[in-house]
Amino acid sequence: MILKKKITILIAEDDDDDKLLILKAFEKTLPKKNVICVQDGEVLLQYLHRVAPFDENEKYPLPDIILLDLNMPRKDGKAALAEIKSHEVLKKIPVIIFSTSSSREDIETSYSLGGNSFITKPSTFEGLLKIAEEIENYWAHTVALPS
Amino acid sequence: MSKKFPINGKNLIPIILSPSMRQVKIYAIFSLILILVGSATSYWVADRIGFYTSEIMKAEEVMQLTDALYVTVLERESNIRAYVITGERKFLENYENSLIEGKQVHRSLQKITFENEIQQNHLKDLESIIRGRVEVFEKTKTYYMENKSLVGFLTDQRVNSAIDNYQEIKKIIKNINEEESRTFAEKNSGLINNIRALPFTVSLISLLSIAMGLLTLFSVFHYNKNQKDSLNQTQAYQDSLQEKLNLLDESNKELEQFAYVASHDLQEPLRKITSFSDLLIDQYRNELKGDGEIYLDRIISSSNRMRRLIIDLLEYSRAGRENDYSVEEIELNNVIDRVRENLEILIVEKKAKLTVSDLPVIKGSNTELEQVFQNLISNGIKFSKPNDPSEIQIDSTTATKELIKQFPQLDQDQAYHLIRLSDNGIGFSEEYAQRIFTIFQRLHGKHEYEGTGIGLAITKKIIEKYKGVIFAQSKPYIGSTFNIILPKIS
Repeated sequence: MILKKKITILIAEDDDDDKLLILKAFEKTLPKKNVICVQDGEVLLQYLHRVAPFDENEKYPLPDIILLDLNMPRKDGKAALAEIKSHEVLKKIPVIIFSTSSSREDIETSYSLGGNSFITKPSTFEGLLKIAEEIENYWAHTVALPS
Repeated sequence: MSKKFPINGKNLIPIILSPSMRQVKIYAIFSLILILVGSATSYWVADRIGFYTSEIMKAEEVMQLTDALYVTVLERESNIRAYVITGERKFLENYENSLIEGKQVHRSLQKITFENEIQQNHLKDLESIIRGRVEVFEKTKTYYMENKSLVGFLTDQRVNSAIDNYQEIKKIIKNINEEESRTFAEKNSGLINNIRALPFTVSLISLLSIAMGLLTLFSVFHYNKNQKDSLNQTQAYQDSLQEKLNLLDESNKELEQFAYVASHDLQEPLRKITSFSDLLIDQYRNELKGDGEIYLDRIISSSNRMRRLIIDLLEYSRAGRENDYSVEEIELNNVIDRVRENLEILIVEKKAKLTVSDLPVIKGSNTELEQVFQNLISNGIKFSKPNDPSEIQIDSTTATKELIKQFPQLDQDQAYHLIRLSDNGIGFSEEYAQRIFTIFQRLHGKHEYEGTGIGLAITKKIIEKYKGVIFAQSKPYIGSTFNIILPKIS
């Protein structure tokens, strides 16, 4: 029997509405504490580097996957992605780009910077629900993640 | 944009009052003619000087010869006299020699003065007198030889005749010399006149030539300067035009960027409207009363339509971007095959018939050309007459010169394909032939025929990017033809 392990997702999203929708979508597949949100790339890296107040392991666990918006203030998605993927330890964490963009250019750069997936934000909540399910299913069950 | 276009283009074109190349040429030809005339005159003057010099020398020679002739006459007289007095044969010999010499001198004189009639006449007179004298001498000689004396020979009449003849000879000799002196004086004054005129003529001609040369040089210089000025002017004009083109290009790019960003950002709130509406229906469907659910549906469908418009707008702004595609040689028949596959369902559903003849290979990108033909073919199918399945025909020929001439934006030296796509659909009135290519322009209600009215705008943009032209011809309820002119691959 396969052990149903719950993965932890760290979401970098500056938009409150999107944050709400994403959280709502994951509500059906993951427990609330497994879905963590930060508001931009800067905070995302502070979180990953365990800068206070993110040094509390219990409250802020290291994520299994990262959901990264491209368009963010301060440090944007691409800069954050580049930083994560050039870090010896952090680069192991799969990063899913989750953006409104569907442009060739954004897709190309995201993958060449080391992004593991590129998903364009769907225009309906139904679409979002389906994506949340697929993400959970794929990263929690289909693939094996680094420890 | 700081630079403004000039109100009147004419102001930029300077009116240059410059000597034309024609004028310069005329100047040059003039100075050449002057130099030639100068040279000819100098040569002529030099020739005259030569002529007068030789004439003077001739006159001198004539006078010398005349003197020599006179001497022979005297020689003969005195030798014959000495002979009859002394009887010495030596004098007779001298006499004979003088006779020969006299004849020679006489001949020389005749030859040298053959142009002068007066002298010729003098010489003729002189010859006859001398001949007369010689006859007398001969008789004297013979008489003396027979009689050893001249007793009985010398008569009064003979003595008088001898004196007369001598006087006559002297007179003629004098006349010859006078005549020759006159010639000498005449030629001499000619010579002097010419020698005096030479420097004057030469310097006059030279001065004129120099002046003309300078004028030519000046006009060439002036002409060059004006050429350079107008070249600079043209260059400046081109530069400013280029600058304006760059600005236009820049502002076009900005506009496209703006459309891209705007439509991108417009999608965000829209996505939220739909998503939250979905969420509302999902979670509170049962609590919505009355028309609540219908209103919510309306919100969702309006948002969806707006999203469609924004996506199309985004696509339209992308279609105009240069360097956004890699140019390859594309077989249009392959493009149509792929479009046919994409539209398979629609074609089967509407029972549409698509006939495609041999199409050319052109330069472009697969995606864009697919977009072009998919738009046109799906339009053809969409705008078919009810209960009359659409028949679409695609063919290609070479565009005629007359056709190309109608579009000034086309390169008149380039060869073009004319690709025609005709249908038997509902068509449209000719007055809309231009308007249908405008963005968001629709000729029909949304309920009759769905769509955002962007397909043809994108199509036009792509064709224009390929340096081509698209135009439509149509008759309502008969059908439409879309004509695409694209450059041939050279």
